Amino acid sequence: MIVQTNPLLKLRDLTWAWTLRTLRGRYQQSALGWLWAIVQPVATVAIFAVVFTRIVPVDTGGVPYILFSYAAVVPWTLLAASLPDMAMSLVQNMNLVGKIYFPREALPIAALLARIADFGISFVLLFLLVMFYGIPISPLGLLFLPIIFLIQITLLLGLGIGAAALNVFYRDVDPLLKLIIQIWFYASPILYPVTLVPEKWQWLYFLNPMAGIIAAYRDVLIYNRLPGDYLLPAAAVSLFIFLLGYWFFKRVEFQFADII
Amino acid sequence: MPPVIRFINVSKRYNLGLTRTSLPSVISQWAKQTLRRSASTNRKYHWALRDVSFDLEKGQSLALVGPNGAGKSTILKLLAKITNPTSGKVEVNGQLSALIELGAGFHPDLTGRENIYLNGTILGLSYKDIQKRFDEIVAFSEIEEFIDTPVKRYSSGMTVRLGFAVASCIEPDILLVDEVLAVGDASFRQKCIERIKTLLHNGTSLIFVSHDMGLVRSVCERAIYIDHGQVQNTGTSGEIIDIYNQVLDRQRIEKMNRADAGAGDVEGGVEVTKIEALDASGRPVRETYGDQPLEIRVKYIAYKDIGKANAIVLIYRSDGLMCANMRSHLDGYPLHIAKGEGEYSVRLEPLQLFGGTYYAITWIMNADDSDGLAYGASDWFEVRNRVPGREAHIAVYEPNRTWRQNAGVNVAESARQA
Repeated sequence: MIVQTNPLLKLRDLTWAWTLRTLRGRYQQSALGWLWAIVQPVATVAIFAVVFTRIVPVDTGGVPYILFSYAAVVPWTLLAASLPDMAMSLVQNMNLVGKIYFPREALPIAALLARIADFGISFVLLFLLVMFYGIPISPLGLLFLPIIFLIQITLLLGLGIGAAALNVFYRDVDPLLKLIIQIWFYASPILYPVTLVPEKWQWLYFLNPMAGIIAAYRDVLIYNRLPGDYLLPAAAVSLFIFLLGYWFFKRVEFQFADII
Repeated sequence: MPPVIRFINVSKRYNLGLTRTSLPSVISQWAKQTLRRSASTNRKYHWALRDVSFDLEKGQSLALVGPNGAGKSTILKLLAKITNPTSGKVEVNGQLSALIELGAGFHPDLTGRENIYLNGTILGLSYKDIQKRFDEIVAFSEIEEFIDTPVKRYSSGMTVRLGFAVASCIEPDILLVDEVLAVGDASFRQKCIERIKTLLHNGTSLIFVSHDMGLVRSVCERAIYIDHGQVQNTGTSGEIIDIYNQVLDRQRIEKMNRADAGAGDVEGGVEVTKIEALDASGRPVRETYGDQPLEIRVKYIAYKDIGKANAIVLIYRSDGLMCANMRSHLDGYPLHIAKGEGEYSVRLEPLQLFGGTYYAITWIMNADDSDGLAYGASDWFEVRNRVPGREAHIAVYEPNRTWRQNAGVNVAESARQA
């Protein structure tokens, strides 16, 4: 038998197998199974809906609050769920990393893919909601969806792979990351619309790539308009973070096995 | 043709301090250094390998022999590209597969089938390749009926069998084998060795690490004796095993002399030198029957007078099940260990074990049974069933027994009487 020599094909097969392993492991012994993918964002939205329609009303620009909120919570949940998973992916499998050689990227990438599966399910529900409320989406807007998604994946890959590698050296990464995600949540337009941010600070605000990504999802899906210029800094910052994270990962991956 | 493996002056240094570079410790380190104004770095290093060189030609088999911590596993890790050398060069020409930690990638919740694909891809096989070899892997591992059972319900023996089957279905140019055959029953071990020999015959080169010198002798042509991260000797496996045994003997004598010179406390003060299973006439056995007597004999060497001590002898089945737990002091037989060599034994008559593969371990405990002083494990021995065709491992106990039936009682008759 010939062992796979093309490293990219090897990475692909392994990543795929590891993703399936993660998904099966996650839902094997759970009664709700993949429905958990929806439970999390729906529950979040339900709480927000109570607080921000009854107690502190938020100006959604005429869109039902539930839709306004869910359109942001879905991409945010992908980030909040996948980053800790990715960060832990190497550390949790140290026995494997220390004993067998394989492309190490496979573990964090698979952790992300397994969460993207959840994202896909909750995104279907998002689409159904949009149709239920009878909100039109332009075909051009639909073309933008994969681009927005790609920008988000680039961002998550860079952060996740970098965090996974750093976590091998410093276990502080995991609690720190959770803290950052908590703060990041309020720095992103999830509870509120971007229009709430003063005009003169918008340039700074959109240096947060998640601001641009969420604003773009909202523009396309619930406001039936194309994303604005703000998507450019999001793309640039995401790409930069991706390159930085990947570079760091590649630089230190040979030390992983020495640090168990 | 160039050698498939070349180690050229390879050294590997591990930084022992690296795991403790937390911020508080970095600050205190920094504070100490500024206070003392010394430039000396307080870092601790461990040289796992120093200046190791060797070659391996195509089709050759090489054993790495030496005590724990000698650097054998580091060599395997360098070969498998898991870690990089600190200095020197490691050349590997060809496709390499490592039988290290079998089943390391298994997920307990997934079935055997799912794990075959997962483990195969970790080892570098493509999905299609695994599909092609799937039946062969299952047949080799002998777990057909459990292939759709989650691996967490497998015995350790079954897990290892599946792990070996996946890892060895690759026909690599170079195969690394690290102590993986220590688990699993004797017949499967034999099968694995046959498989390794077949691979060797087909041109695979082998690097083999084992503490089982019999195995080293039967599988490898050449061997390297490694200690303290350095190559001490190279030669045929027979030569190296002799040298290694001499070194072990010499170390014992030295230890004895040190104890004589009163150079502090020799660790434990006693060492098990041999533990073996003997038949009725006192000959070592590898194969016996449950209705035969068996004696477990332990030889030890004490470097000082220990006085009262207790012996424990445990018999394990190959899958890790403890089948007997015998403690001399509970049986009213405390040992008395004086300086020098000695032996003790426990006789089981008859053995009363069901067919299977077993091994014995022993502990010499201190007088109040609170601390182990010395440990030893025997080779495997096989217990055969008297009735051919009875499957081994399905029971543990083979009692001495008498069957009886009261024939001739008519049920209808006895019912009417009642």
